[in-house]
Amino acid sequence: MTRRDEVLAWAKKVLANKLQSPERVLDLRVGATAEQAQAAFHKLAKLGHPDLHRNTLSTDELELVTSAYAIAAGAYQTFRSRPTGGATEEPLPTRVTPRPDSDPVRPSPLSATPAAGTPALQTSHVPITPSGPAPSGGATAQMAPRAIPYFRKAEIALRRGDLKGALLQLKLAIAADPQSPLLRTALAELESELRKGP
Amino acid sequence: MAVALGIDLGTTNSCAAISTPTGVDFILGTHGERLHPSLVAFPDTGGVVVGTDARAYRIPEPEHVIVSAKRFIGQNIRAPMVQLALSGVRYRVVEGPNQQPIAVVRDRHLTMPEVSSHVLLHIKRCAERQLGTEISDAVITVPANFTDAQRTATKEAGRLAGLRVTRLINEPTAAALAYGFGKNRDQLIAVFDFGGGTFDISILKISGEIFEVIASDGDFFLGGDDLDRALAEVLAAECNSQLRFDPRQYPTSMAKLTMGAEAIKCHLSEHDLAEGEIDGIDLPDGQTGALPFSITREKFEELISGYVGRTLNVTRQVLAQAKLQPSQISDILCVGGSTRVPIVRRRIAELFGRQPNLNINPDEVVAQGAAIQAGSLSGTIIPGSGMGVRDAVATAALSPLAHAKTAVLPAEALRRPVLLDVNPQTLSILTAGGYAERLLDKNSPIPIERSRVFSTSRDQQTRVEIECCRGESRRYADNEPLGKLVLEPLPPRPRGDVSIEVTFRVDADGILNVTAKDAESGVQQQAQLQVLGAPDERADTIEST
Repeated sequence: MTRRDEVLAWAKKVLANKLQSPERVLDLRVGATAEQAQAAFHKLAKLGHPDLHRNTLSTDELELVTSAYAIAAGAYQTFRSRPTGGATEEPLPTRVTPRPDSDPVRPSPLSATPAAGTPALQTSHVPITPSGPAPSGGATAQMAPRAIPYFRKAEIALRRGDLKGALLQLKLAIAADPQSPLLRTALAELESELRKGP
Repeated sequence: MAVALGIDLGTTNSCAAISTPTGVDFILGTHGERLHPSLVAFPDTGGVVVGTDARAYRIPEPEHVIVSAKRFIGQNIRAPMVQLALSGVRYRVVEGPNQQPIAVVRDRHLTMPEVSSHVLLHIKRCAERQLGTEISDAVITVPANFTDAQRTATKEAGRLAGLRVTRLINEPTAAALAYGFGKNRDQLIAVFDFGGGTFDISILKISGEIFEVIASDGDFFLGGDDLDRALAEVLAAECNSQLRFDPRQYPTSMAKLTMGAEAIKCHLSEHDLAEGEIDGIDLPDGQTGALPFSITREKFEELISGYVGRTLNVTRQVLAQAKLQPSQISDILCVGGSTRVPIVRRRIAELFGRQPNLNINPDEVVAQGAAIQAGSLSGTIIPGSGMGVRDAVATAALSPLAHAKTAVLPAEALRRPVLLDVNPQTLSILTAGGYAERLLDKNSPIPIERSRVFSTSRDQQTRVEIECCRGESRRYADNEPLGKLVLEPLPPRPRGDVSIEVTFRVDADGILNVTAKDAESGVQQQAQLQVLGAPDERADTIEST
């Protein structure tokens, strides 16, 4: 098989698997580590990066390869941004905020409600609001173990109504786990709550 | 074979090069210089003067010389940081269509892409004269944290100059490419890019021909200009007390002081004390005065330490994002003229626990990387052609490889480079409740495509607006809006019953395309977002002058 055939076959396979898991797209086994994913991505970059083919493929073929590469990059990013750093887990129950939309000039915002049966959709609306219920046990699955004690303290402070104390604990949690999207979104919410004032 | 230029289009200076079978050659200006000042002058005598020759007009006619256009290209003129930067320039800038800044010089109105296209055209002409062939293709570098609008505007500048921009690449990535191409390295490096107007820090992993950006961030409004301005303010205060004249209201006098400050800054990079006089300062009574000054390096460092501190804070953040300790970085490349300031290098060394690499030329390395990428894209560099035999960064003369011209590297090292660059900021859309729902995370590899499925938030909703933003906040309102896409008509259904697939695609130039699709009816809408501050699609190439 020539290099041209090889890259086109690869691109077609990626496009066919577009809606599958990142593992399928990246040709990884389930439970692969971050290092294995990086190695897989490097391997496919050497094969399928569109820059390597711009002088040898037709415009249509290059578009095909570019799309496949972009989708593979998206899958790699999905893999990397999983809270556990890659390994699969049960999707967390999400709490969609059904606030009434008060803005009249924007009658039709989207809601992030996942449609039934759509894969890989993980809306992680933050379960941490001062008035809301305490975070579910699932929340701590989305952060490094080191961050959990701080997160717990933040919850306790919140229940007491001590927003500033909660802010400090959350920042400490983020210092322990800078990568957790849940902690960052919690911080953003808390900060906006603080801005609104007492 | 087509010759493709690599151009580092800088805030203060630009630099260009081409890759040849044996290395990289620089494009020289009319006086044999490698750096082309990014100045466009419209002097009293008529015509347009660009580059080194435009310098002569900075003092007598500061209002006719457009400087630092890169700070305004693709920007919204109403943004507070833009307003602040505008207070530092001596030419007139007004608000044009789509809230873009327009430079007004004499009776001419120029968009920022038009201004930059003059610089690019100048470089193109120099290259054509030097090489004796027509140039049509170019790779242009941009700061890693340039927005979609800034990238689009830079491409537009290239088009106006009659160049096909085959790729925009990020400056730090270009520097890394010049450093590591053809050397078969395997290491983690940091590129500390502190230029005239912007600051970027990138962490890259080089594995053979793969250049992967791990994390990148920056401060778009922080550069050498700020250091000059801080020093010029001190000189202005001095002027006020010694000559009983406040130059801050007089553009020509202030231009003189700012240029003096720049010279003092450069002098203090090599010496502990700068002493002398700035003469030829126009006084209100028609006379000219001279301002004696004496500034120690210590005093200057104290003055700028806040700015330097900001660069180091961003650097620490980027290391944290990359989950790396400073000690894991095996080399630090200094890019941009501001890294010549000793306190900058000292603070870098303190942070990383090692000296930054002194073997690269901070003003030229980005253009070298751009030239390598241009050559690779146009097919000028082909495996086995000998590229990489001559050290691409050997021009600093200190490199031990500078003399290794006859060395032959293994064929493995001569493969085409693969750049895995990243998207510098999180891209999201507005969802019910005012949240920003992330589609593409900061630091994800580009080109990239990611889709998510959303649904309607109201019963019988037949129209959705997909509003896009960039920024890290979960609240939409805290981020920077990019524009919106409307999808209609949708089948009237109860809320949550309509599935809309939203796809974000960022191409290799870092430019965003958004597609929204109703899965059931197949209604589809696609747009490259019209961003505020972006240029209109209008002008042809600029006229020859």
